[in-house]
Amino acid sequence: MPAIFVLAVPEFMPLVDQARQRSSYTVSGPKNGYYKIDAPGAIEFERRSLGFKPAVWHGALTGGLLGQIECFDNDRMRLVDRVP
Amino acid sequence: MNSDAIPIAGVHHTARPTWKLSDTVHFYRDLLGLPLVHAISARGWGAENHADFLHFFFDAGQGATIAFFYYIGTEPPDFVRPLDDYRYRASHTAWRVETREQLLDCRTRLERAGIRVHYQVRHEVIESIYFDDPNGYPIEITWQVRPFEAIDMADARRSIEAAITLEKAQRHGGAAFNTIEQVWQAKATALEQELGSF
Repeated sequence: MPAIFVLAVPEFMPLVDQARQRSSYTVSGPKNGYYKIDAPGAIEFERRSLGFKPAVWHGALTGGLLGQIECFDNDRMRLVDRVP
Repeated sequence: MNSDAIPIAGVHHTARPTWKLSDTVHFYRDLLGLPLVHAISARGWGAENHADFLHFFFDAGQGATIAFFYYIGTEPPDFVRPLDDYRYRASHTAWRVETREQLLDCRTRLERAGIRVHYQVRHEVIESIYFDDPNGYPIEITWQVRPFEAIDMADARRSIEAAITLEKAQRHGGAAFNTIEQVWQAKATALEQELGSF
């Protein structure tokens, strides 16, 4: 299942907060400064609901991605398992 | 700064050439209100084709200055002409203010002086306004929301190390390095090994 690491700093916390509200998403950590978010099938976020300005949105995966980008445009991202 | 670092203590000056002397002085001294604090006037020396010149400095706070060279009797070469391109604008200086109120005050004062502010952008830890001087040089004024901490340094190291690994692999005939997704993937793979199970 795809996963992302999220640096535990205020500007990225909306990713963690929103993932915690979803029953199928698992949020672990923080460990050594990172949360890990995973979800079966796909991880999806939408920029406006996170309250992210464009500059932060486009760097939202800075913590790291275990998986691959299926879609990442100005408003929406969908992350899935990496196809070898 | 660690004890091995060279003992620099901030910015003394940034310097760029100008072929618009009066416009530049008016902009920095009169519109932005930065005092003209020093001016070198000299015959060309050093390089054989070096023009006579003025090298002048505006106070930019905390010991920093904004400096220009004015090369008398010359025309600007093509390589200094501003371009409407993000790679040209990458070379810029960002000047610091201490609070968001000061940033907004800067914006108000710039616009009152007839200077167009292109953007106001909230980044991860800074918020900035962007405008151009009369030479077409991009200027940024920025406010840092929070200080950089150890967690930021560790994360920066991981990002850059992941990217360096990809750059090296490409240089040695490996996979092409052409997306940030590759950095995110390499970083996560390294992080997973480092952190183990959560």
